[in-house]
Parts: sequence; C-alpha cells; structure tokens
Amino acid sequence: MLILFFVACLLLLIDTTTQWLKPLQPFFSSATVPIFSLSLFPNWADELVEEFSSTASIKEENKLKNIELLILKGRLQKMAELSSENLRLRNLLHASELLQHNVLVAELIGASPDPLTHTILINRGKDYEISRGQAVLDSEGLMGQVIEVYGNSSKVLLISDSAHALPVQVSRNGMRSIAEGSGSYKKLTLRYVTPASDITVGDLLVSSGLGKRYPAGYPVGVITSIDSLKGSPYLDVNVKPSALLDRSRYVLLVSQSVEKFGAGQDEK
Amino acid sequence: MRNNGYLYSSISLFVGLLLQITPIIGPLVYWRPQFLLMFVIYWLLRSPSQYGIGFAWLSGMILDIFAGEMLGRYAIAFSFCAYILILLSKRLQHFGIKHQAFLILFIVFLNQLLTISISLLYRASWDTTLMIAPAITSAFLWPILSISLNKMIKK
Repeated sequence: MLILFFVACLLLLIDTTTQWLKPLQPFFSSATVPIFSLSLFPNWADELVEEFSSTASIKEENKLKNIELLILKGRLQKMAELSSENLRLRNLLHASELLQHNVLVAELIGASPDPLTHTILINRGKDYEISRGQAVLDSEGLMGQVIEVYGNSSKVLLISDSAHALPVQVSRNGMRSIAEGSGSYKKLTLRYVTPASDITVGDLLVSSGLGKRYPAGYPVGVITSIDSLKGSPYLDVNVKPSALLDRSRYVLLVSQSVEKFGAGQDEK
Repeated sequence: MRNNGYLYSSISLFVGLLLQITPIIGPLVYWRPQFLLMFVIYWLLRSPSQYGIGFAWLSGMILDIFAGEMLGRYAIAFSFCAYILILLSKRLQHFGIKHQAFLILFIVFLNQLLTISISLLYRASWDTTLMIAPAITSAFLWPILSISLNKMIKK
C-alpha cells in the first residue's frame, strides 16, 4: 500500500516538473468527455422546462429576440460605416490592414472540479481545426484561450485563473497594463500600475493584442476599485471581468490570421 | 453478496464523481461537499476488510484524471485519509453517527489541506475558505448520506 502512495508522489512530481505524461492526455480526455457531459445534468432541468413550455411563451420570447436582433443589426450598420472609415484612415497612414476574425460557436461540456483551477472543456477540437492559443469569447467579452486540443473537445484556460495574465489597454487613453487572474471568477488584478497613471474607476479595459496571443480590441473588464498599498510603489487595481466566466454555456472561438503580421504563435 | 457489494460501491463512486465534477455557478462552488471522498469513507467504514487504501487511491486517481492537472494529487490525499481511517478503525466501530460526522469534518479538512498544499507546487494561490467550507458541508451531509445509503443497500 505504501508503494501506491509513492507511485502517486512520483506521478505528481513527473507531471508537475516534466512534459512526459502529456501523451496520455488525449487518452484521458476521450475517457472523461462522456462523463463530463453527463455531469451537466443540472442543465437538463432547464431543457425539460423549455420542452414543456407553452407555445405562447415561446412566441413571446421569439418576439423579444427579434426586437433585440433588429436593434443589434441597426448598431451593426453604424459599425460597418465606422469600420470602412477606419480602414480608409489607416490606408492614408499606410498602416497594416484590419484583421478579419472568423468565429466558431462552441458549447461548454465541462468545468474543472477544483475551484482554484479555472479551466473549461468545450465541444470543438481537432475536427474543427482548433489550435492551441486560440482566443475564446462569450457574448460580453474575452473569456480565455485554448490550451489543449483533443479529438473532439478542447480545454480552455480562463482569464481569471491565477496562472493566467494577458496584456490589456485602457480603451479611453490606450494606457497599457497586464491583467492577471486572481483565482476568483469576479476579479482580475492589474500589475505594475504607478500612482501617476491616468486611470479611474469605471474605465473599460480591452485586449491590446501585444502578446500576439489574443486579438486586439475585445473587452476584458471594467475597473472596480483602485487602492494604494502602503509600502508598495504600485497601485492595487481590481477589475471585474466583462465575460460571464462561470455562467456562459455557449462560447465563440476566434480564429485570427496572426500570420499577416509575420509572426507565429509564441509557444510557452 | 460480495459481488453485489462491489457493484454498489462502483455505482456510488460514479454518482460521487458526477456530483464532484458538475459545474456549480457562483460562490457556492467553495461549499461543495467532497462527495467522492465521502463515498470512499462510507465504504471504508462499512467493510474495512474489502476496501482499503488501494480503493481510496484508485478513486483519487480517477478524480485526478478528471481534474486534468497534477496527476496523483487526489490519489495522495485520498490514500493518506484512508490510512488515517484504517489506523482509527478499531475505535471507529463504536462511533455513533454524530461522532462520525465529526470524523468527516476532520478527514475532509485533512484532504483539503493536502490537496491545496500540493497545488502550491503548480500555482501560488492559497484559499482558506476552500479548506474549511467543504469540511463543514460534508460533515452536515454525512448523516443523510450514510443513513440513506445504508437503507438502500440493505434491501
């Protein structure tokens, strides 16, 4: 029995310090994915309710959705005009072309059982040509990035994981910073913000695209508090993520043509 | 009967695993009882001759595969908890359900302490709520779980 204990210790050491156990991951994922999808059983209740809800309520919902769609389409017209204007101005400046981002919808099929590990599993993998490092969005903002791709599923590391950080900028003035995950779904922290910086509560942060991992310009979060810590040369800035990190069931995978900039993806 | 026992234990482990990995929205996730560990403890207390450290190790390993990082973390914690249980097993036979609940509080706390300490190897996040909260909920849930499982399996 003591041997088993040592085997576990050895496995742990190998897994945390080397990459030797990586080849086992696809095998594990194919075994775990069906059970992960079973584990979403609380959602079945919602689906059942939908199944039995009356036609009247569905019609009502449909009407609301149509109105929402109309409003969004109206905004999109404005956007089209703005983006063509932007393109013209960029051409005048001889700047590089705006990148086209293609999106793919994926559904969440599981989440990490450990509250300190913020990873989710989604139902798209190699079969949809997902690649490592691809950005994941929901309807409100940036969620995270793909860290492992399996046959028909992939694992996404959320921006709130304490092992994750991403380059951001304040959309108001373009000030750059780094938003680090805190291990809580409700909070990110900004690193190395000096007291002299032009930053206020309520500022929107967008991805700056500097790490070449995330596309630029997607909302990351809103600054909720700024405190000065005694003895620290930097401010303690808390950010509330825009994306509904622990609630979204459908996510968007962004495939961007990074190659246009002549740079490959930076592997860790 | 013996085969039936294994059937029941594997079904209960499966249920425990499902409850352990199902996504919980909001801060309630910190209070999720350690279902899988509770089922393991149940079988260890029920028939110590059939289920031992190996059983706990295997269940921990399965949970590790689902957690997807730091393979062996739950296996270490679960087998250590099982070891403590077996050390105490002579005394435990005289324990009533309330005393068992206290034992669960202690064992789950130990499990949380071990898993969170081990995770420091990989990430620098320490969470005190996560050490205490699951132990409390597990202890409160234990009498319900234990009595209902006893009833179900005696049939």
